[in-house]
Amino acid sequence: MIRFEQVSKRYPGGNQALSGVSFEIEAGSLVFLTGHSGAGKSTLLRLVMMLERPTHGQVLIDGQSLNHMPDKQAPSVRREIGMIFQDHKLLFDKTVGDNVALPLLIAGLRYREIRKRVRAALDKVGLLEKEKAWPLALSGGEQQRVGIARAMVAMPPMLLADEPTGNLDPDLSWELFGLFRELSEAGVTVLIASHDLSLVKRMGARVLVLSDGVLIDDIPARSGGAAF
Amino acid sequence: MALRAARRRFRAWARRHSYSFFSSLGTLLQHRLGTLMTVLVLGIAILLPLGLYVSLKNMDRLDVRQEDWSAISVFIPGTMAAAEVEALAEAARDRPDVQSVSVISPEQGMAEFREVSGFGQSLETLDENPLPWVVTVLPAEVDTRGSTATLSLRIQSLMDFLERDERVESVQFDYKWLQRLGRFLDLGRATVLVLGLLFGVAVIVVVANTIRLDVAARADEIEIFALVGASHAFIRQPFLYSGFWYGLMGGVLAVLMMWLALFYLSIPLKRLLDVYGQGFEIYSLSPVQLIILLLSSGLLGWLGAFLSVQRYLRMLVVGGSLGRR
Repeated sequence: MIRFEQVSKRYPGGNQALSGVSFEIEAGSLVFLTGHSGAGKSTLLRLVMMLERPTHGQVLIDGQSLNHMPDKQAPSVRREIGMIFQDHKLLFDKTVGDNVALPLLIAGLRYREIRKRVRAALDKVGLLEKEKAWPLALSGGEQQRVGIARAMVAMPPMLLADEPTGNLDPDLSWELFGLFRELSEAGVTVLIASHDLSLVKRMGARVLVLSDGVLIDDIPARSGGAAF
Repeated sequence: MALRAARRRFRAWARRHSYSFFSSLGTLLQHRLGTLMTVLVLGIAILLPLGLYVSLKNMDRLDVRQEDWSAISVFIPGTMAAAEVEALAEAARDRPDVQSVSVISPEQGMAEFREVSGFGQSLETLDENPLPWVVTVLPAEVDTRGSTATLSLRIQSLMDFLERDERVESVQFDYKWLQRLGRFLDLGRATVLVLGLLFGVAVIVVVANTIRLDVAARADEIEIFALVGASHAFIRQPFLYSGFWYGLMGGVLAVLMMWLALFYLSIPLKRLLDVYGQGFEIYSLSPVQLIILLLSSGLLGWLGAFLSVQRYLRMLVVGGSLGRR
């Protein structure tokens, strides 16, 4: 599903964010990406979303190299990815329901279909009764869950999350990781960047460890994973 | 199969457009005061060349009655005997370069003047008729599009013939003046073109600047749209609609102001032209011209918006600040 081949990224200005990173993630798997801050986690996710291009090597999605894809195609690559941001990236002048509807509007779905799917996605993150609420009226954890509902609503085959538990207490974080596991069991490829090591270890999923832009460890999933 | 897929894609495209359409209207209504001010500026910018164009069109219609203007008026003192005047008219009629001749006696002139001027009462107090005889000589086939030089050559001998006659007090040929007016109208038309181009550019710039501010105010929204996979076309669309609305509303305002001005001017203008015996309808834009004006105003606005958004979107491509905190 996602494949990195000797990927290096150097930003203009000389910051070497990634050096020779190679790995492969199979479809429908749940993978965590850890490392201290500045280790290159965000850069790695940005490369998958075509927000950046690698300096060396190549990133492949479904066997297709993003190197050969023109910038114009970046939006269609992003539509195949549900992205969850640490700072949620919600529109504060739109209701929760309209925020979640955004990817479906872009896809040009029928209004009734959009409403139905938005409610299903909000139900999944336990915020169905907040459909008409404004994002600013929600707590940080609830805003994060709105972001997750938006990432899932178009049912993309791939979900990326950048520090999704950054603002959540341990119980909520655990619940959220459980949701990610459910999604991966339903066939969605899930890649989560998180520095919450204890939580990541409890999940028992595969873990990629980055340090100063180098992939220093690739811990395979424990069979069975954690019990819920 | 392919047909169904195409139809599905078309429906998705149409739904995206209807979303952009309504969201652009919503934005304009949200910022009523700003919208109003922009539209006012656009309306004035469009009104200037439009107003000049309509004024020229109205002046242009004054020479619709070419015959009146291309005739030579010969004035003979009112004391001259009718037979003498008739003899002169007969002599003119015999010339090959004359198409027709008509004679207006001082009495006829007075009757006509009394009727159209509204000075009937005061004219009664005059002891004698101060009006001269007027012999109107229409030259044969005056080519109205001919240059002044050819015209002079063809008319000159006729003018000389009339002026040499000792019964004649003065000879007046208005056509030259008309032609000079024509030249001024040509100049005016060129001015309309130049003004139209300049103010067309002004409309583009005003809309581009308004949309630029709008884009800057909604930078966060645009970023989020791009991050969840909106194409540039989708992000651009509401702004293009906004630009079109701005231009269209500016055009509508310009037309309303023009109508108001014409209505205000029509009453004194009619009164003035009635004195000259000219049946005159004030010229305004035809329905087709109106549609062309409004559409092109809208398109100019669209173009301004396009230039503005396009510049911004170019910064959103891969490697930009997109999604970075």
